Amino acid sequence: MTAHTKKIRLLRKTSKTFLWISLVLMVFSTIGLYFYVQNLLQREVEEELRSTEARIKNSISENSTMYQLPPMVEVETVSQLEVVHLKDTLIFDPSQNEIEEFRELTSFSIINNQKYRITVRALIVESEDILIAVVVSYLIVILLVFIFLFYLNKSRTRKLWHPFFKNLEQMKLFSLTSENTISLVDSDILEFSELNTEITTLTDKVRSDYKTLKQFTEDVSHELQTPLAIIQAKVDTIINGEKLNNLQFEQLSSIQNDIHRLKQLNKKLGLLSKIENKQFENVTPCNLNKVLEKRIENLSELYPSEIQLKSKEEVILLMDENLAVVLCENLLSNAIKYALPNTPIEVVLEKGFLTVKNKGARAILKPDQLFHRFYKESDEVKSTVLGLAIVKKICDRYGFKPSYSYDANEHHFKIFFQEN
Amino acid sequence: MKILIVEDEDALLYAIANYLEKDGNVCETASSYEQALYKIDLYEYDLLVLDINLITGSGLDILKLLKKNKKESATIIISANNSLEDKLRGLDLGADDYLTKPFHLAELNSRIKAVLRRGKFGGTERLEFNEISIDTRSRTSYIDEKPMALTRKEYDLLLFFITNKGRVLSKEIIAEHLWGDHSDLANNYDFIYVHINNLRKKMTDAGAKYIKTAYGSGDKFMEG
Repeated sequence: MTAHTKKIRLLRKTSKTFLWISLVLMVFSTIGLYFYVQNLLQREVEEELRSTEARIKNSISENSTMYQLPPMVEVETVSQLEVVHLKDTLIFDPSQNEIEEFRELTSFSIINNQKYRITVRALIVESEDILIAVVVSYLIVILLVFIFLFYLNKSRTRKLWHPFFKNLEQMKLFSLTSENTISLVDSDILEFSELNTEITTLTDKVRSDYKTLKQFTEDVSHELQTPLAIIQAKVDTIINGEKLNNLQFEQLSSIQNDIHRLKQLNKKLGLLSKIENKQFENVTPCNLNKVLEKRIENLSELYPSEIQLKSKEEVILLMDENLAVVLCENLLSNAIKYALPNTPIEVVLEKGFLTVKNKGARAILKPDQLFHRFYKESDEVKSTVLGLAIVKKICDRYGFKPSYSYDANEHHFKIFFQEN
Repeated sequence: MKILIVEDEDALLYAIANYLEKDGNVCETASSYEQALYKIDLYEYDLLVLDINLITGSGLDILKLLKKNKKESATIIISANNSLEDKLRGLDLGADDYLTKPFHLAELNSRIKAVLRRGKFGGTERLEFNEISIDTRSRTSYIDEKPMALTRKEYDLLLFFITNKGRVLSKEIIAEHLWGDHSDLANNYDFIYVHINNLRKKMTDAGAKYIKTAYGSGDKFMEG
């Protein structure tokens, strides 16, 4: 099934199927019944006509009386015999004073050497009334039965699927990061019970894998610190030890630079897993203006051009202050890293959002991947490329929405704060 | 100064000891929890460089014991763990500074000197190098008793140079000391050259030519 198929609720789907089947059954059975009853009634009328005709013939042969009871019975003498025929006809009925439909049987017989034409008729209206009565009462009964069955079926289905719906709700609430275990409703239906077992196994597995992965990241970043410290100490010792030549010094210096990069990478990975592990839960009202001012002051020494903060009002957010600092710092560092040389950086803070703008030569190629870990646009700038992933992580934590746009040679990184 | 270094990685242990001894310190080493306990019980130290994650015990327990026995040693914690809680816990227990691994030996050295300067351990808040003197409390520096007008970064730089005099300091080390984590923000180290050149110029103008270039791109603060 593709994702584009229109989704329909299970109960609705079963009800809909039931309704359609009922409707088709009702239509066909009513049509069938109509023709069956009509046929039955017609044969009844014919039989009656034939029996009347036989009686008349009998009566003519016994006393040569020609019964006349128009329009029901008409007897005439004729010179020519014709084939017996049966047909429907419209005749004016004086007793009703209107034209009525009759079933007419015309037969020709020779009785006592005299040729007769005997016409016997019966009113059709009567049988039609019966037909309609039968069909209508059938329709009413079957409709009532269907309505009853429909609701019965619906409530039964609902009851039957109840454990399924309950468990579905539970699964929607399932979160990898939360410690709450998933509690499923047991059912006496074997398949549901099996499904529960599978879900439990799966969620436990996913959770333990996630935990292992988190622990792994944390352990690796921790375990790397010591060997890095040793390498760094050794490099420092070599630089201050024997006489080196300029090239050797350059190389050692560059090793120091790489160690620094590794250290930063480690630190950021550690920070990411700490945010994931909810180690920043000290939520206080946080004045973002103050945080930004402080960060800008710290960073402006490293940036030759101006970093302007434009804010008309104080923005206070409920969050961990450390994370607020990390969020602002990462957005600013990102702007500093990628800004065109000698162009100002603009920071706009308003009630609902924070935007950091820096000049850039061209738009980011894959904006949708921008906030992913280790996304790199080019090899120009050496960075640990985790800054924006950290921004994203913090945003996720507090329900903020990070976004990126490129307008008039400017990169805009915008964070929409939660409406509250 | 008599310093005890507690660290279970021998390579790091001896690199630290080696670096600190060049400044005329007496360094003793302890590569295990037990050895550290044994040594602090027997001897007095001016300063302890203490690793937290030792194989057989926690450095924090050593620190607790030290404070319990009212030893007057200054303590600097070195730890692979850079969490804020650990840092606060260490400082709460009476540590004087906390340094996350990996660190530059020059950085450790400058932290050690800063801790020792804080009067409490018989140090002085006045630092002297020939005609240069620095008052670390008021953060002012003098040449021949005449105050120098230095910016904040130039002052930090001068202090860092003097505490690591005679050592070659690469741009990386200096950048990290001055800007910490943000030192990788600039695409090159031009901004450090600006500060170093300004400082060098101010000092040279006052007749103090101590900042030498080593190996083309490193710097060294030395006489002659």
